[in-house]
Amino acid sequence: MNFGDGETMNFEERRKQAIVEWDALQKSPKPRILVGAATCGLAAGTEQVITAIKNELARLNLDALVTRVGCIGLCYAEPIVDIIKPGRPRITYSKVTPEIAIQLIRDYLVNDNPHPDLAMGTQGEGGIEGIPKFWELPLLKAQIRVSLRNCGHIDPESINQYIANGGYKGLENALKMTQEQVIDFTKKSGLKGRGGAGFPTGQKWEFCYKATGKDKYLICNADEGDPGAFMDRSLLESDPHSVLEGMLIGAYAIGTQHGYVYCRAEYPLAIHRLQIALKQMKEYGLLGDNILGTNLCFDIKIKEGAGAFVCGEETALMQSIEGKRGMPRPRPPFPANSGLWGKPSNINNVETWANVSVIFDKGADWFASFGTQSSKGTKNFSMAGKVVRTGLIEVPMGISLGDIIYEIGGGIVGGKQFKAVLTGGPSGGCLPASLLDLPVDYESLNQAGTIMGSGGMVVADEDTCMVDMARFFLTFTQDESCGKCVPCRVGTKQMLEILERITQGEGVPDDIRRLEKLCNTIRSTALCGLGQTAPNPVLTTLRYFREEYEEHINKKYCRAGVCSKIVKSPCQNACPAGIDVPRYIRFTQQGKYGEAVAVIREKVPFPAVLGYVCVHFCEAKCRRGQLDEAIGIKELKRFAADHDTGIWKQNNKIAPPTGKKVAVIGSGPAGLTAGFYLAKKGHKVTVFEALPVSGGMMRVGIPRYRLPDEIIDREIKEIENVGVEIKLNSKVESVDDLFKQGFNAVFIGIGAHRGLNMGIDGENSLGVVDGAEFLRRVSLGEKMKVGEKVVVVGGGNVAIDASRTALRLGAKEVTIVYRRTRAEMPASAEEVEAALEENIKIEFLTNPTKAISEKGKLKVEFVRQALGKVDQSGRPRPVPIKGSEFTREYDMLIKAIGQESETPAGFGVKTARAGRIEANEDSMITSREGVYAGGDVVSGPASVIEAIADGRKAAVAIDKYLGGNGAIEEILASVEVPPKYVPPEIEGEQKRLSLKMVPVRERLSNFKLAELGWDDKQAGYDCSRCLRCDLEAH
Amino acid sequence: MADINLTIDGKQVQAKPGMTVLDAAKLAGVYVPTLCFHPDLAPYGACRLCIVEIEKMRGLPTACTTPVTEGMVVKTNTPQIQQFRRGVLELILTEHPHPCLTCWRRERCGPFDVCLRNVDVTHRCVLCPKNGICELQQVVDHIGIEQVEFPYVYREIAIDRENPFFERDYNLCIVCGRCVRVCQEIRGVGAIALTYRGSNALPGTAFGRALLDSDCQYCGACVDACPTGALIERNRKWEGAGERKVLTTCVYCGVGCQLNLTIKNGKIIESVPARENDVNRGQACVKGRFAIADVVHSPERLTKPLIKKNGKFEEASWDEALNLVASKLGSYKKEEVGIVASARCTNEENYVTQKFTRVVFGHNNVDHCARL
Ligand code: SF4
Ligand code: SF4
Ligand code: SF4
Ligand code: SF4
Ligand code: FES
Repeated sequence: MNFGDGETMNFEERRKQAIVEWDALQKSPKPRILVGAATCGLAAGTEQVITAIKNELARLNLDALVTRVGCIGLCYAEPIVDIIKPGRPRITYSKVTPEIAIQLIRDYLVNDNPHPDLAMGTQGEGGIEGIPKFWELPLLKAQIRVSLRNCGHIDPESINQYIANGGYKGLENALKMTQEQVIDFTKKSGLKGRGGAGFPTGQKWEFCYKATGKDKYLICNADEGDPGAFMDRSLLESDPHSVLEGMLIGAYAIGTQHGYVYCRAEYPLAIHRLQIALKQMKEYGLLGDNILGTNLCFDIKIKEGAGAFVCGEETALMQSIEGKRGMPRPRPPFPANSGLWGKPSNINNVETWANVSVIFDKGADWFASFGTQSSKGTKNFSMAGKVVRTGLIEVPMGISLGDIIYEIGGGIVGGKQFKAVLTGGPSGGCLPASLLDLPVDYESLNQAGTIMGSGGMVVADEDTCMVDMARFFLTFTQDESCGKCVPCRVGTKQMLEILERITQGEGVPDDIRRLEKLCNTIRSTALCGLGQTAPNPVLTTLRYFREEYEEHINKKYCRAGVCSKIVKSPCQNACPAGIDVPRYIRFTQQGKYGEAVAVIREKVPFPAVLGYVCVHFCEAKCRRGQLDEAIGIKELKRFAADHDTGIWKQNNKIAPPTGKKVAVIGSGPAGLTAGFYLAKKGHKVTVFEALPVSGGMMRVGIPRYRLPDEIIDREIKEIENVGVEIKLNSKVESVDDLFKQGFNAVFIGIGAHRGLNMGIDGENSLGVVDGAEFLRRVSLGEKMKVGEKVVVVGGGNVAIDASRTALRLGAKEVTIVYRRTRAEMPASAEEVEAALEENIKIEFLTNPTKAISEKGKLKVEFVRQALGKVDQSGRPRPVPIKGSEFTREYDMLIKAIGQESETPAGFGVKTARAGRIEANEDSMITSREGVYAGGDVVSGPASVIEAIADGRKAAVAIDKYLGGNGAIEEILASVEVPPKYVPPEIEGEQKRLSLKMVPVRERLSNFKLAELGWDDKQAGYDCSRCLRCDLEAH
Repeated sequence: MADINLTIDGKQVQAKPGMTVLDAAKLAGVYVPTLCFHPDLAPYGACRLCIVEIEKMRGLPTACTTPVTEGMVVKTNTPQIQQFRRGVLELILTEHPHPCLTCWRRERCGPFDVCLRNVDVTHRCVLCPKNGICELQQVVDHIGIEQVEFPYVYREIAIDRENPFFERDYNLCIVCGRCVRVCQEIRGVGAIALTYRGSNALPGTAFGRALLDSDCQYCGACVDACPTGALIERNRKWEGAGERKVLTTCVYCGVGCQLNLTIKNGKIIESVPARENDVNRGQACVKGRFAIADVVHSPERLTKPLIKKNGKFEEASWDEALNLVASKLGSYKKEEVGIVASARCTNEENYVTQKFTRVVFGHNNVDHCARL
């Protein structure tokens, strides 16, 4: 194509001028301040920051250039302010308040203190001590900026800054090619449409290019409607010219004269900046007739959409431009032949156009060098949800989901468990942790049941109910369906109704089949993409989280504690045994401690034990915790139990003898609980215990300074009082024998008492002991010799218990080594705290490799670990660092990395790895009729409360098996008329009281209780913090 | 242009370019169930009942919207199609009362019989004016639905009886959009449109105002387009199917709209504009559509000429009347005569009238009531 001389010169001059201006700006002797002023920044308070900066500059009489730039993507860190002092690298500051801004001006601009404490990173050449390199930060290292290349760097309202950074070079390059060459070049780059469907862009252009007809239309789809998606908005607000330049190239390739940007009216700033950009383009001869002196004639209009989600669908969008109701129409005919006003039309989305302009500047090969074989280039995502760093990111195709969420996103907020990630918005699907390795490309996501979509990414944590999430998205599509075709209009409504019923606890088993049928019908018969993909959130949750549907339907249980109709209170919901927490808290507050214990006893026979040692699942979910700190639910349990009046016995009922006999093997919490409820149902229960003491792990696992003997004795006594007979020193090897002795049913609760091997050389050297065995022998009264220096390997509660016990046995120096970091440690936080207080050292990222016993000393070699990729458990995998080995000497090494069960072959039940017995999770029945199992022997090492919950389930099943009705629920405390709900007055944060501990010096010489409980005042205070989530606010 | 050859359910068909697969299926004598399709309207594709399988095409295209192409191989009734068609129809029925549709006894029930299944009167097909002529019924009978396993929700919308011509009962609406499209595409009026989105979508006027306050011309095109009992002419509401049809020309004006009169018990019960002609192609105005039967059967209608004798009108024969007029006309001077013609006469009659005036009386004193 020929350039008309005059015009080209003109633009060339302009480009030269733009570059001169830009260079001058870079070398400016004045300091420059860049402020992120896209919507994310403005919402976070950028305006106030700018005002503060300007005022302060004026006050100090300083001359500095303040520029509003777009969004660099770190929306969570807005307002972001960059300061560039002449001769210094650019420093990025995050979460800048007006006060911080003023401080920075005074300290950095005036006094040259760059404030590393407030800085995020430096950009450009050189560095500043104490401040990392911005692009080396974990959240940016994995990112590649292609379409977002200028975002946050240039003033979006300055065409010259765009030009100086390579802008409109792509257009010039394209104009030197023929139309076919431009199309081939685009094909070569491998660019696919970024709007969701991923159709190859070059091919799409070709269709429209080849279509007959003179008038053709070109459209930029900026109708971004997915909940939580803001990629296009940011791009338009931060670099509108990159999109418009792409459109010019497309217009040339296809041969169109008319362009539209269809942008939702909810994006006023984006529209404003587009308008400015269009005006500048006209001025520069980049719009209108004979663009850059060629015979390319093209104009662009902005059409504001009224916010209907369906108008993101191309045919609906075109109807909307025509002024009609935005409803899709069937294809064929395809828009390439008959689109807007019935003319050949081509439509691509914002991100695609922004990629086009840079592809023609930097080359198709350059672009194709990013990404994977079939998905080239990069993709923008807006990350939202329960991830630490939300914001806009641009990553190469093929990066794994795990890298996006953990490396870039910084993992889950509050250290919670990752549950699912939803891509593709309401048209996409939820992927579980097992797919964190999945590469993000079109094919992989499709295979997994979701879609790339336009780039919305919502991360869900353990507190998200997947059924509720599916329901939410269905509400959205149901509302946003245009209402034209039957499957989408009616089908999504029927689906929503079913989902609503399920979340309200009114689901029936057939619902899942019905949902699947609806999904199928809608997917295959809906008119447009909106309807066809609407079932995806349901299909994927059914595929990956089916158990949650089944729990809602069959057990009326929502594990995330979200579905309010079936969750009385989050704490009760989280308790494996379902203790009615708010009710006993109310009784405690009223001083009715006996009633409080009775409430607890409605679900468990061990209120006091739990009060001392429970791992309190409830507190992790306590709603008060979202405000300041969770209620001390466990501590209140201990307080009530310590003040028990025994009132529960008044309502305690024991059924008349049934004549049936039940044998329980093992006197741990699972066995005793099962025995307790079975005895109350009138069965004759005999508990066989191999050890000389009863109580299982409560007695020989948990050290006495946490759980005194009297507490266990008292509660086991009550169990004997209802008729349970405990035979100590009676090891059972064969279940057949028991049946021969006339027992009608057997419950196995033998726990998991044998420590696991570390699998290293010298594992059995002298001085290496097993943690579980160590604790058991100490509990049984053996005086163990530990020497002076002890090392404990492991990160669980057993490791902590063993180390604190070793200290009490006279060790001078105890060290725990753990291969991951504190964040991943499974031990409960307060135990770790207590251990640190007692001066126990914890060395993280360290693992033993061998142990050699030499002259009474134990030489242990360790290797340091680094955290690698996040694995499917959502935790980073530790990887040994080669060459970091080192050796230390100890007197004793305690291995506490897990335990297994020793299930005798004579039990004749099916077992899995580590000696665990396979049992049905609802009835606890084993592979053998009449034989049930529960507790650690089924689950592996777990907690007292989980063992109790197993015992209850087994008691129900065994009673039914023996001809009973299986009803073990009871009311032991008076049923209160729930007081009217008055929301407690909450003024600011009211944290939980810290626990009184026996001073460390006094603790270490003995095994006396280390934690002192609350007194009535303290307990009352904590009760008053409870939000009473079980009462409905009316 | 050359014919397009395609195969539908194994049958060879020659279709014309621009035809849809549905048109071609009709040519081949293959029935494909439809509800939102209307021959006078642009392809729409909303009810999804006409889904078919077409080799080399993704998904299940709708026959009513897909243009024919050379060599197409179409299957209209595979097990997969049957399954999904039934699935979609089931969904349609969750928006439309259907106890009678799935009841084997429907054909035997009269409107006043006792329902054995205790179905609410509002939900009974046998009580619907469209019973027997309802397209939904036909489709259900063809596809066959024994049971709808999703709950049906009655919309509980008050029936609109504001105008004297037709009633709007949107509790029966299946949102096929035919009324809306005919009003917009053919009448060019747009008095009604689809309102709201998602499951709330329904035809209606702007801001839910009365039809009277909209641009409605009461042409009744929507009523004729409606496949269900949602839009019903009030006068013929309880008349049922009728006995025969008579094709006639509308008497109201000179356009000559063709009307199909439905006759029952020797009386006109409705007049529906005929489609197969070049004059009005299925359309009429409010008079031709709604004001034929009333006028024809009115006791006050004049069927013979009247002559005033002694201050009173008396019936007379045409000969008497014409002779009287001729004799009187002769008694005036030419310029004393003016002639007013009727808009209800045909063009030919009006032509003769003006010719008569100009030739016989030699002046232009002729006018026409439609000008008043
Ligand atoms: S699938 Fe939904 S949005 Fe698409 S045309 Fe049908 S009703 Fe409208
Ligand atoms: S605030 Fe009270 S009722 Fe709510 S979760 Fe916490 S302890 Fe339970
Ligand atoms: S009567 Fe005619 S003008 Fe009125 S709504 Fe129906 S089609 Fe439209
Ligand atoms: S009123 Fe009749 S024609 Fe109009 S959408 Fe409803 S069913 Fe269709
Ligand atoms: S008749 Fe084809 S979709 Fe309704």
